[in-house]
Amino acid sequence: MISIKNLHAEVAGKQILKGLNLNVNAGEVHAIMGPNGAGKSTLSHILSGRDGYSVTQGQVTFENDNLLDLAIEERAHRGIFLAMQYPVELPGVNNMVFLKESLNAIRSARGEKVLDAIAFMKLIKQTAATINLDEKLLKRDVNCGFSGGEKKRNEILQMALLEPKLAILDETDSGLDIDALRIVAEGVNALRNENRAMIVVTHYQRLLDYIEPDFVHVLVDGQIVKSGDKSLALELEEKGYDWLKPEVAA
Amino acid sequence: MSTSPKDIEQLIDSGYEHGFITNIESDTVPPGLNEDVIRLISSKKNEPEWMLKKRLSAYKKWLGMTPPHWAKLDIQPIDFQAISYYSAPKNLSDGPKSLDEIDPEIRDTYNKLGIPIEEQMALAGIAVDAVFDSVSVATTFRGKLADAGVIFCSMSEAVQDYPELVKKYMGSVVPDRDNYFACLNAAVFTDGTFVYIPSGVRCPMELSTYFRINEANTGQFERTLIVAEDNSYVSYLEGCTAPMRDENQLHAAVVELVAKEDAKIKYSTVQNWYPGDAEGKGGIYNFVTKRGICQGDRSHISWTQVETGSAITWKYPSCILTGKDSIGEFYSVAVSRGKQQADTGTKMIHIGENSKSTIVAKGISAGQGQNTYRGLVKVMQGGENARNYSQCDSLLIGDKCGAHTFPYIEVANPTAKVEHEASTSKIGEDQLFYCQQRGLSEEDAVSMIVNGFCKEVFNELPMEFAVEARKLLNVTLEGAVG
Amino acid sequence: MSTLANDAEQWLKQIIDKAVKVTDTEQVEWFKDIRNNAQLQLQDYTAPNRKQELWKYSNIDSLFKNQYSPVDEELDAIQQVDIDEHFITDIDTYRLVFTNGRFMPHLSNIQNLPQGVKLGGLRDALKTDTDMLASWFGHAAKHYQHVFSALNTALINDGLFLHIEDGIKLEKPIEVINVSLSVDNALIIQPRNLCVLGKEASATLIERYISTGDSHYLNNNLTEVVLEESANLQHYRLQEESPTAYHLGSVFLSQQAYSVYNNSSISLGGAWSRTEFNVDFKAEFAACHLNGLYMVGDGQTQDFHLNIRHDVANCSSTENFKGILYGKGRAIFDGLIYVAKDAQKTAAHLSNKNLMLSRQAEIDSKPQLEIYADDVKCSHGTTIGQLEPQQIFYLRSRGISEQLAKKMLCLGFAGEIINNINIECIQEYLNRAVKNTLQVESQANVK
Repeated sequence: MISIKNLHAEVAGKQILKGLNLNVNAGEVHAIMGPNGAGKSTLSHILSGRDGYSVTQGQVTFENDNLLDLAIEERAHRGIFLAMQYPVELPGVNNMVFLKESLNAIRSARGEKVLDAIAFMKLIKQTAATINLDEKLLKRDVNCGFSGGEKKRNEILQMALLEPKLAILDETDSGLDIDALRIVAEGVNALRNENRAMIVVTHYQRLLDYIEPDFVHVLVDGQIVKSGDKSLALELEEKGYDWLKPEVAA
Repeated sequence: MSTSPKDIEQLIDSGYEHGFITNIESDTVPPGLNEDVIRLISSKKNEPEWMLKKRLSAYKKWLGMTPPHWAKLDIQPIDFQAISYYSAPKNLSDGPKSLDEIDPEIRDTYNKLGIPIEEQMALAGIAVDAVFDSVSVATTFRGKLADAGVIFCSMSEAVQDYPELVKKYMGSVVPDRDNYFACLNAAVFTDGTFVYIPSGVRCPMELSTYFRINEANTGQFERTLIVAEDNSYVSYLEGCTAPMRDENQLHAAVVELVAKEDAKIKYSTVQNWYPGDAEGKGGIYNFVTKRGICQGDRSHISWTQVETGSAITWKYPSCILTGKDSIGEFYSVAVSRGKQQADTGTKMIHIGENSKSTIVAKGISAGQGQNTYRGLVKVMQGGENARNYSQCDSLLIGDKCGAHTFPYIEVANPTAKVEHEASTSKIGEDQLFYCQQRGLSEEDAVSMIVNGFCKEVFNELPMEFAVEARKLLNVTLEGAVG
Repeated sequence: MSTLANDAEQWLKQIIDKAVKVTDTEQVEWFKDIRNNAQLQLQDYTAPNRKQELWKYSNIDSLFKNQYSPVDEELDAIQQVDIDEHFITDIDTYRLVFTNGRFMPHLSNIQNLPQGVKLGGLRDALKTDTDMLASWFGHAAKHYQHVFSALNTALINDGLFLHIEDGIKLEKPIEVINVSLSVDNALIIQPRNLCVLGKEASATLIERYISTGDSHYLNNNLTEVVLEESANLQHYRLQEESPTAYHLGSVFLSQQAYSVYNNSSISLGGAWSRTEFNVDFKAEFAACHLNGLYMVGDGQTQDFHLNIRHDVANCSSTENFKGILYGKGRAIFDGLIYVAKDAQKTAAHLSNKNLMLSRQAEIDSKPQLEIYADDVKCSHGTTIGQLEPQQIFYLRSRGISEQLAKKMLCLGFAGEIINNINIECIQEYLNRAVKNTLQVESQANVK
């Protein structure tokens, strides 16, 4: 579905990604782990098209198209969804209105019928219930005054609603206590299916107890230095990242 | 990839959609200002002697005044002799008007602007007074309003039909000497709207006046007076547009509101005068004095304004809170883009015990627009337990615009509680990214964020107009994103 | 060109005329030029009046009704014992005492200064370090910002001179005590202070204004502060002038990249007191934090003016001013944050909070934002209010008297500013001073 080849990228003149390779097929869940500053967030931002990153080498192909040519919203229309580490607050923008606008923008881009208010209400209530999201949050402004857990749940709600092909979860576990983490992970697991790929970016192994990945990649200093199955995550938990660093040098 | 601020700025260039000119024959007095012109205006309107005297006395005062010092505005001196002070569609100059007699061209003009002046087509529940250049061309639903005891007519008619009321209240809130432009208005005002709500009456429909400047080289000097007797309620809305012309045109209006015991007046403005072109050529100078007095106990005046037009806006809708437990409110959205300059705000003068005021001002600057909030909250010694809360937020779009906040807070009563907060920011890149990542185009994302920014103010508008205001804001900001 | 209004013109003329007689003729050329220019400039000023935005709320007229004479002789009536009673105990400082604006070495203690630190009187420095003085004098200050800075410049006599070379971190605080006293004629006392901190230098400066009696005088002081790259100055300003005195203090600050300036100004004394801060950011990534506390009671006016100019990008400033008003006290706060067109990423936040404890008190607050750059985070806020009845109730329900409860809450209110001063004994000193002031207040309020 997505293929990243020899990706080099810099932020403000500083080289962050230094030849990253990754292939993700439909139905797969890939975890990307790594120490702080390894380039994990840079990767998720580049895939979703955020400003401020320049790709200096390499390519990213999404369903046979050059992903890097697409605007942020075009990528969203094509089915890329980024669940953010720090979901943004939009004062004065009602959550429900936002979700409807977003869903309908994506539906019309896909050539589907836009939902009227009633159909939308039905859908949103249903979806909110499945991930245990308090309906009150739908009436508030987007992410304003939400707790950390509520924000993350709001992200998962959007993911459920927008039905992306590729979901990127950027440090979804950060700032969550264990109960919130479980609820969020259950939400994510419910959305796993054979047509949808996921990239789970995380610093800690604990998220992977709840969202079991098919593959685990270790990102150190802008490159993937080791790949394996979920047992690799446990090994990292035990040994930390330091033991992998010499391999970069080598 | 994603959009840069430059791309966004290119989006700014949307046109002014009300810029057309109506071709009708007009009766326009030649430019210039002197006593004869004032006599001429008065005689064209068939005014009684007392009104002419009032005008001439104001004119004398005006001659002794100097134009105000423009605090934050960059303005060319105005040549008051180059303006025509009276212009009226010809077939209205003589004879009374009825809705059926309206010139089809004028009727078309209002239809094009979306203002229905035929009752059968009208928006449910809204009565309209349409002012075209210097005269009122139509006032709808008068019969229905009269049944409720409400007087809703043009100021010219009020001078004829309700002289006692006009004598009593005109100039009682904004005296001639108040300021240069108010004084000029008192001398040369041509028309406007008069509203009188008797005791205990809740006005059965929304009242509105629609102002249109059409003729070149004319100024519009309308005068609006709303009196709400004890325990009455009225909601009033005004809208404004003008053709695109290269020269600046002056609009110097005066609005006076009087609220008696337990009365409430809700006054909403959607101002979309022609702002001038991208280089700052042409456009309306919008110098308006608006003031309400909360005379009675528990009276309530609420100003809501959406200011998107005009080359220069200079207006401070104010409340004098004399009555005990009286309430003053000011909700404002002011947009300045291109080379527009807006200097607007409010004055809340707390005189009565337990008077309360709320100020919510949202300024949006784009292009090379300059937006200034200027306000005064004054608690006099007798303003026991007065309360004020002010919030002024500015949003900057692009790096060539400016946003300024100048609140003046004067408190001489220790039981008063005054809070003022202001902030300035731009649309966050992260907010834009977030919306776009969820599939919204950049323009939709900006419009959503800006509308969110203005929500508190739009919520104060009557429903139909809130929708209009949102649309207007979106059109105004089309491409103004950055 | 407009000239001074009659009163003010006369007022200035008589001060300058008298001053000519006492001008020290031995002065160096450039210095004399600055003084003479200022005297010339003075003739072209419009006298401050309430029609001017900067003086809108300040009643200056009463000042022009008083006659002032420049200081013509050293004040030898002041003895060590008079000064001693004003010392803040438990603090070891380099101490400089100025009486009526003149440096008094015999009352001062500036022994054992580290190498690279110049500290002393301006008048002496003019003789010993004239080149160094010439290169910094007027670097931060506009000599003729308004009539009072011009007046200060026109009659410069003495003041503090501090210069710290690059990299020197002065641990021991510098304490400057300005003692003013008029015996026969009302005097105009004009300290002129200059502080320059070199790159990565740091210091703590305590600037105090006191009087040994309750005489009437005008202290028109001007302080220039220059912070070179990465310099750090903690500057505390304690104004405890005589209750009948006029005090006009201007601080001019010029900051280079990465420099940090922390100021806490506590203003308690004087009949009429005005403090102005002019902050200029000369290079990016500098930070300036101004904190202020003013207390005003019967017959007092306190006036604060901030002119914070963000002309370059990436600088931050915070302004946090609090006032307690009682009796017939009158306070004015005017705080401008200006952000120039290219000063992106500016962060500036201003707050002014006022507590009104009496019926006759009056406050005018005018925070201002003038912003021409879009990528900035700026805000200001003003509140005017009273002590919260719920809080008083809560304290009383715990057995505390109403009087004490109010006092505790006021101290808490003032504490936010006082606690910014990171010298504990000064905090204690100020807490006592605030308490004493409140004592007077509560006695006055007994009906």
